[in-house]
Amino acid sequence: MAIEIRNVEKTFGAFTALGGVSLDVRSGELLALLGPSGSGKTTLLRIIAGLDHADAGEVSFDGQDTRDRAARDRKVGFVFQHYALFRHMTVFDNVAFGLRVKKKAERPAEMDIRRRVGQLLEMVQLSHLASRYPSQLSGGQRQRVALARALAIEPKVLLLDEPFGALDAKVRKDLRKWLRHLHDDMHITSIFVTHDQEEALELADRVVVMNHGQIIQVGTPAEVYDTPADSFVFDFLGGVNRLNGVIEGGVARLDGKAVRVDGEVGPNGPAVIYVRPHQVELDVAPGDGVPEGKWSARVSSLHAAGPVARLELDLAGRALEAQLSRDRLSDLALDVGSWCTVDFRHARVFPAKN
Amino acid sequence: MPADPHSRRPAVGEGPVTRLALIGLAILFLAAFLALPLAAVFSQALAKGFGAFLKGLTDPDALSAIQLTLTVAAIAVPLNLVFGVAASWAIAKFNFRGKSLLLALIDLPFSVSPVISGLVYVLLFGLHGSFGPWLRDHGVQIIFAVPGVVMATVFVTFPFVARELIPLMQEQGVEDEEAAIVLGASGWQTFRLVTLPNIRWGLLYGVLLCNARAMGEFGAVSVVSGHIRGKTNTMPLHVEILYNEYNFVAAFAVASLLALLALVTLAAKAILEWRFADQIAAAKR
Ligand SMILES: Nc1ncnc2c1ncn2[C@@H]1O[C@H](COP(=O)(O)OP(=O)(O)O)[C@@H](O)[C@H]1O
Ligand SMILES: [Mg+2]
Repeated sequence: MAIEIRNVEKTFGAFTALGGVSLDVRSGELLALLGPSGSGKTTLLRIIAGLDHADAGEVSFDGQDTRDRAARDRKVGFVFQHYALFRHMTVFDNVAFGLRVKKKAERPAEMDIRRRVGQLLEMVQLSHLASRYPSQLSGGQRQRVALARALAIEPKVLLLDEPFGALDAKVRKDLRKWLRHLHDDMHITSIFVTHDQEEALELADRVVVMNHGQIIQVGTPAEVYDTPADSFVFDFLGGVNRLNGVIEGGVARLDGKAVRVDGEVGPNGPAVIYVRPHQVELDVAPGDGVPEGKWSARVSSLHAAGPVARLELDLAGRALEAQLSRDRLSDLALDVGSWCTVDFRHARVFPAKN
Repeated sequence: MPADPHSRRPAVGEGPVTRLALIGLAILFLAAFLALPLAAVFSQALAKGFGAFLKGLTDPDALSAIQLTLTVAAIAVPLNLVFGVAASWAIAKFNFRGKSLLLALIDLPFSVSPVISGLVYVLLFGLHGSFGPWLRDHGVQIIFAVPGVVMATVFVTFPFVARELIPLMQEQGVEDEEAAIVLGASGWQTFRLVTLPNIRWGLLYGVLLCNARAMGEFGAVSVVSGHIRGKTNTMPLHVEILYNEYNFVAAFAVASLLALLALVTLAAKAILEWRFADQIAAAKR
């Protein structure tokens, strides 16, 4: 099912939690809502589910406005951040809940409910724990019960609020992979909320970056990573060098030398130049000074475990991280303390914020 | 001073002497102010033998008082169960204007003297009260009749269920209910299948306490009842009348029944806590 979100606004008192958000969610995709805490991700998810009402704007499912559809009629699967499992019910009864509360005419026979719940528990690999209570489960197991419970009503949309937030790193990675496979098998339109950029980039078909109740950028993980819309996205995705420079007459300069940058340059004044470590190009330092238009830096530390080498450089007092292949590193014969020339293959510049 | 690993005690806590003294003091206090009077009630009731005790209880006026007390509790407790759950639900799960006013109102019966509560009813429904003449013209008597006793009791016992439930429901939040609704449950299904099981222990406590007070209430009931023997006397009122007539054995016989009720309530609460400790703990998680 496709979801269209048009100019949705939501305020809590004087606070604007969502300030005119528009988004098209494609049928069958796995979409990540990525943003710092308080950026309005949960609020947007709750409005889609019908748990909150937008002050303005509309949400439609397959072209149909949802304004008059109560949460219970939306057939949305919702996995809450803290799972919200029914503590007095067994795992089995939790999963069966959505089937048992159906109106008499639509309710499956108890035998069919048992079969369906059995299948779901098998799918989330929890058949052996069917008669346990939620308090007797680990975090990862609770998470999967919550997912099975949400899927039991055969939802057209699956909404997950920070699905891996409360889990430890190892379980998190496993569940992430598992969720991706599950989505590939079932193709339910799915939206998950996260504040972890790595999770969003690794798992999602498309990523929606949010900040202060606004959507800043929408794109595939590669698009968002390679061409961040602004300095916020750059900073939030992380893994980037920030170098203080200036913009003068439409040219970005670092220590007086021009930096070739992609995209707009912006008005004159202090600026921050963003360069990803793998876009930093190193070369052996010639004996007779720095070549035209390049910079000179000294290697301050070197990590060469794995196929990619990471170098910390000192560029006129600024820390600069670079990544290059092990082969390239041995060609250059660099070591801690040695000098090299530096250039930037791709860089972006944004006016500095005060 | 050398560190002796065997003498380590928790940082918070006192030496053994202080602890013993505190415990002793508490027990002494309880014995003097609670256990002793309780024992006195029973010993006075049985002072002239079991026959006299039984006679005090089976006197027609005593039986009528017992019956009225049971009737009043049977009306007041279910009413306050429903009101209490509804009010707690509204306060804990929704935001609305006048919420703090509602909270204050719930506490009102605790904060005003029961005698005042009774007087308010007299002023409203008594012969010279606001609605008195109208009620009289329509042949309805509230003050100095059973309806007044019931109303005063409902008023005085209102906070017990709500006070027990509000903090519990606030702590539990609304996520479980939201989960149920998204799964397609109706409001009633959500309440019956999710909310009610989550609050059942708190609710049971509240009902037990409400019941104990409903049967034991004196002040408010005393003002509105009119002390009509065999008609509007509840057990506590009957005890007072007998006592004022120097009929000590009968007075204490009825009083011992009330005291027994209190003990049964406490025991029921303790047994529930002990029997369902796991579930109570799980429900709080
Ligand atoms: N019920 C509410 N009442 C008041 N403020 C709220 C409420 N829900 C959310 N907010 C505020 O709206 C902002 C966005 O919240 P939320 O959508 O939960 O952010 P996120 O999920 O991105 O962390 C936060 O600053 C939060 O404090
Ligand atoms: Mg959130």
